[in-house]
Amino acid sequence: MEMDSLPNGNNTTGTPIAAGAGANPTAPPSSNLPQLTESLKLEHQFLRVPFEHYKKTIRANHRAVEKEMSAVISGVTDAAAADFSPDDAVNHLNSLVSRLQGLKRKLEEGSLAEHLQAQKCRARIDHLESADADNLSEWNNTRLKRILVDYMLRMSYYDTAQKLAECNNLQDLVDIDVFQEAKKVIDALQNKDVAPALAWCADNKPRLKKSKSKLEFQLRLQEFIELVRAENNLRAVAYARKYLAPWGATHMKELQRVLATLAFRRDTECATYKVLFEAKQWDYLVDQFKQEFCKLYGMTLEPLLNIYLQAGLSALKTPYCYEDDCTKEDPLSQEAFRTLALPLPYSKQHHSKLVCYITKELMDTENPPQVLPNGYVYSTKALEEMAKKNNGRIICPRSGVECNYGDLMKAYIS
Amino acid sequence: MKSPFLEMYQILEAMKNQDLEPALKWATSNSDKLAQSGSDIVLKLHSMQFVKILQNGSRDEALHYARTYLSPFASSHIADIQKLMGSLLWTGKLDSSPYHALLSPSNWDRLAEELKRQFCNLLGQSYNSPLSVTISAGVQALPPLLKFMNVMVGKKQEWQTMNQLPVPVELDSELQFHSIFVCPVSKEQATEDNPPMLMSCGHVLCKQSISKMSKNGSKLFKCPYCPFDVDAALCKQLYF
Repeated sequence: MEMDSLPNGNNTTGTPIAAGAGANPTAPPSSNLPQLTESLKLEHQFLRVPFEHYKKTIRANHRAVEKEMSAVISGVTDAAAADFSPDDAVNHLNSLVSRLQGLKRKLEEGSLAEHLQAQKCRARIDHLESADADNLSEWNNTRLKRILVDYMLRMSYYDTAQKLAECNNLQDLVDIDVFQEAKKVIDALQNKDVAPALAWCADNKPRLKKSKSKLEFQLRLQEFIELVRAENNLRAVAYARKYLAPWGATHMKELQRVLATLAFRRDTECATYKVLFEAKQWDYLVDQFKQEFCKLYGMTLEPLLNIYLQAGLSALKTPYCYEDDCTKEDPLSQEAFRTLALPLPYSKQHHSKLVCYITKELMDTENPPQVLPNGYVYSTKALEEMAKKNNGRIICPRSGVECNYGDLMKAYIS
Repeated sequence: MKSPFLEMYQILEAMKNQDLEPALKWATSNSDKLAQSGSDIVLKLHSMQFVKILQNGSRDEALHYARTYLSPFASSHIADIQKLMGSLLWTGKLDSSPYHALLSPSNWDRLAEELKRQFCNLLGQSYNSPLSVTISAGVQALPPLLKFMNVMVGKKQEWQTMNQLPVPVELDSELQFHSIFVCPVSKEQATEDNPPMLMSCGHVLCKQSISKMSKNGSKLFKCPYCPFDVDAALCKQLYF
């Protein structure tokens, strides 16, 4: 699984948020604050997706307006230039007026859509700003649910995602509407229909071109292969001349390989060309589309769940986690998590971190470790409690060896 | 797996409405297991019920309740029971008494949390869901990892394929489940083959560092922290 560094999205939105959270005058100066700021900086996707969606809606509305306006203006100039009879002129002008009224309606709808999306962006910024030391556990809980919804959307479990969002009032904080757009394309691709996908590519042509995306080319190739599969060779050649030729300059090798299928036919046994006819090619197209889609909206290429789990499991993984007496508070005591963590690296520490076997608390300078004569170590707090209850006798819970509190030796560990 | 948790949430719901019946029922049916794990939640639940009865103003009922349910704990928790008995004097007027702290709502919150903890303990489950613990660890681990990746942009090695993380990740103390000893001399983590050893001065080094510094146990060496002469043969292995 490849993890990419989170896209360095709009830094202008990223830093003011972090600064805002840190400079909040009413927040208590707790040690959690820098950690909170760091965790907020990981939320690029959270802010970028509604913003990109908003930009897209604005652009689409703008284009529609331009189109209608230029049509109306040219209609007016035509009417001025042409020699119309009074009735014809009135009719012509009436049609232009109704066209303008239609435009007004569309503008109103477009404005409403834009307003809703701006509100969504605002809601997300507010949510990030609302994170502070008081409601931290609740905020973390919301984050966990957001991560789960993101995973479900990416794996195409749209209904479950919708249900989870509704139960927890997360609708503004998750991108279900954005993924509805993807759903149409993905469903069509799974039914071996490239039309919606091509329409999507046409809609987003400038940005796909900027990122040098091959998606349109691959969609066209697949259509070509389907034509060959149906043995419509003449149509296939015409198709190739029209749609595949422009891509020849940049992707000649691939083009040549696919064009060769004209010669090999759909039931060929030759391995290089057999693979092109397999149904798996459609799954590959779906994956490609998902990647381009996520890139376009500024989302991470892997689901957030995978990223956080990999980092978390690796940070928690120690050789002791795989032993039988691993405490059940450690997630790695569970079989499922252990299997997930197997290929991941072990955690690294530069300083000793010691945990008392009895109290499960950290043994540091305030609660130093003490050593029994047989080498077993426990925290001062635990040993003092034990001595109080047992008249100064210490019994090691693991080895059963007994000694007096006075026989203990302090260990100095930096 | 689902039904025990449903039961737990039902008990907690009832407690939110200050109704302790389901909780008491659960506690009495599991009293021996709870006693085994060393928890005093049964006493706490009965004390809370006692305070509730007191507030309703019936001293006799409260006394009777105490005699039935609090007396078994007399030997082990005499101090707590004495406090409760003192509050008998202010039946019905607890808020103006020195014992008004018994009425504070945070007691209910703490009791609910303790009950949740013990319930999960009896089920053999962790208190926090493993998923949320792992995600919290991930949130803390990602910033240093991302910084590393931004620095190492040239080198193509993916961190997931390494044997050990390339950067140290400092986790909160709640996420520290195992003792990790790092030798201050070699900066290596202790393993079964290379355990931590206690020197007679009280400082701890790993076995390999000690044998290196003492030239395989042949000579005395100075502890790097204090000017104490250390004999490798006198070093004791530690078990955290």
